[in-house]
Amino acid sequence: MEALEKQDTATLSVQSQDGERLLLTLTGPLDFHNSARLWDKAIGALSHHSFGQIVIDAEKIRSCDGGGLALLFEIQLWAREHGKSMELHGLKKEYADLLKNFTPEAFLAHRTARHKSIPFPEEIGRATVEFWQDFQEQVGFIGQAFVALVTSILRPWRIRWKDVFWVAEHAGANAVGIVILLGFLFGLIITFSSALPLRQFGVEVYVSDLAALALVRVLGPFITAIILAGRSGSAFAAEIGTMKINNEIDALETMGLDPVRFLVVPRLLATTVVTPLLAILANLAGIIGSAVVMLSLGFTLRTFITHVESAISPPDVYSGLVKCFVFGLLVSGVGCLRGLQTETGASAVGISTTRAVVSGIVLVVVAEGVFAVLYHFLEI
Amino acid sequence: MSRNESIIRVEHLTASYDDTVILEDISFEVRQGEVFAILGGSGCGKSTLLRHMIGLREPDQGHVWIDGEDMIGADEPQKTRILGKIGVTFQGGALFGSMTLLENVRLPLEEYTALPKAAMDLVALMKLELVGLREAHHRMPSELSGGMQKRAAIARAMVLDPAILFLDEPSAGLDPITSAELDRLMLQLARQLSVTFVIVTHELPSVYAVADRVILLDKERRGIAATGAPAQLRDDKTNRAAWQFFHRQIGDQSMHIKEGRIGNGKPSFRTK
Ligand SMILES: Nc1ncnc2c1ncn2[C@@H]1O[C@H](COP(=O)(O)OP(=O)(O)OP(=O)(O)O)[C@@H](O)[C@H]1O
Ligand SMILES: [Mg+2]
Repeated sequence: MEALEKQDTATLSVQSQDGERLLLTLTGPLDFHNSARLWDKAIGALSHHSFGQIVIDAEKIRSCDGGGLALLFEIQLWAREHGKSMELHGLKKEYADLLKNFTPEAFLAHRTARHKSIPFPEEIGRATVEFWQDFQEQVGFIGQAFVALVTSILRPWRIRWKDVFWVAEHAGANAVGIVILLGFLFGLIITFSSALPLRQFGVEVYVSDLAALALVRVLGPFITAIILAGRSGSAFAAEIGTMKINNEIDALETMGLDPVRFLVVPRLLATTVVTPLLAILANLAGIIGSAVVMLSLGFTLRTFITHVESAISPPDVYSGLVKCFVFGLLVSGVGCLRGLQTETGASAVGISTTRAVVSGIVLVVVAEGVFAVLYHFLEI
Repeated sequence: MSRNESIIRVEHLTASYDDTVILEDISFEVRQGEVFAILGGSGCGKSTLLRHMIGLREPDQGHVWIDGEDMIGADEPQKTRILGKIGVTFQGGALFGSMTLLENVRLPLEEYTALPKAAMDLVALMKLELVGLREAHHRMPSELSGGMQKRAAIARAMVLDPAILFLDEPSAGLDPITSAELDRLMLQLARQLSVTFVIVTHELPSVYAVADRVILLDKERRGIAATGAPAQLRDDKTNRAAWQFFHRQIGDQSMHIKEGRIGNGKPSFRTK
């Protein structure tokens, strides 16, 4: 058994001959395992001795795989790099032939070429410019898509209605459950958490006014937009991104079909229609949630309804729904944009999906702020 | 194991997708150190056969013996041992998109050897050199042409010097010169190091240049239409499928051979 093992280990002996020649004798099977073992020893020996010529005795190398060849080649490279001459004796013809495929000069060129790194300030500068360009691109694309949407609506027979309904079902109908659930919970939570402080002043009956107003004007549309970004914006980016990777977008273009009209318009159209509808459901569910808390605090349903009725007026509701059109447009627009921007590679679709959700939410928050200011000046 | 002993044996293999039987009861063997080509029309089941030979799919029936071990029904350690002896490239390349070429090729080395990092890089670079891609080692797969991806995949498949290499259409999408270089490399490895190659290919020049033996699959027969050395099949006038394939004729054009070259007026093809 021991003898067998000995046969399977390669050995390396180093012999310095009168400071002139360094003799490396290799024996046994020079496979990956053995060359890994001998690598550092062999390369280390080269730098620890002084000599003018390296001689490798390869007579007793029984077999040699990619690892062994690499070791022999590395010694050759080292010799070339340090201006020493090298002789290789007795390597079996098949391996010697294989080794002839590699020229040391070409490989040495790689070693000297180092990758340059970018200084930190330059990186910040680049990132800023990229961010700004990206923002411009987003706004530009959404504008372009909106124009395409309007022109399509003016020529409704050119719209792919089947796709519109498909998207409406997936982005709208299938989201009803989660929208109602979240709306209800939000109504419940804001009413409950504001009722306790207001109770100290004995005015907790006005909590229903506050909650209803907040839900209808801000929270309902906002929740809907966030859900849309998470569910549909990401889905659009993934769908279109996958098409991009499979060259399907290129195929559309070479057939003379505009991807924006073909893919983006149906998605924009469907989402701008379903978002306000979803927001109405979110509002209703939120008010019901609020009612549940108020009833449990001992108020009657009649009191609750009277307060809600007096708190919100039709403009409050409409202003919320108008926002929803814009949110739907932004979220689906940026989702499609991220899809179309997908680069190649396995991780590309994942990156696009993430960017779609993040950009969607950021745009919605920014738009929310713009609307707040706008409504303030319009006194709605 | 010496040359000319069989290293792969496929026995009575039946393969299907759902209800569609693609290959029915086929048997053949591949010898150590030969270049073995699987030929056949598009969609006849070449890739399917390859998938079964490397254990990616379980056949409905039959066995695949690789170097004396049965691939079918092997347990995990056994399978890992068998897989250690083979290298595979797929029709689509299947490089990892998030890694550079060098990292792709280096990955098996990192998992299976204890070489120092610089040594791994050198081994990987040498394999890339063999397929002519050393200069592109730092690029991402998505930045490469289809043919370059294919060659990189071949470099990755042979980085651990497996005894058997399975290549699905290695020279599809390559120019004639690169494809000839690949042929030369295959021959060198097969003749000098006794590496066994199982290749799926459509390139007839490449088949004549490298293949020791071929099998021709036939879609209608769901099996092997012909086996033998390529030149021998090319000149075999009794096998209709082989004649059509090697002389690039479609269906009825065989009439033309019958009259023109074989010429005695009688149909001399075996009919099914
Ligand atoms: N995953 C799958 N599910 C169902 N059927 C499949 C699947 N993969 C392949 N097939 C069918 O099996 C048959 C053989 O396919 P295979 O990919 O093996 O062909 P091939 O000979 O490699 O063709 P090509 O030369 O075009 O690559 C085809 O008819 C194909 O439709
Ligand atoms: Mg195939």
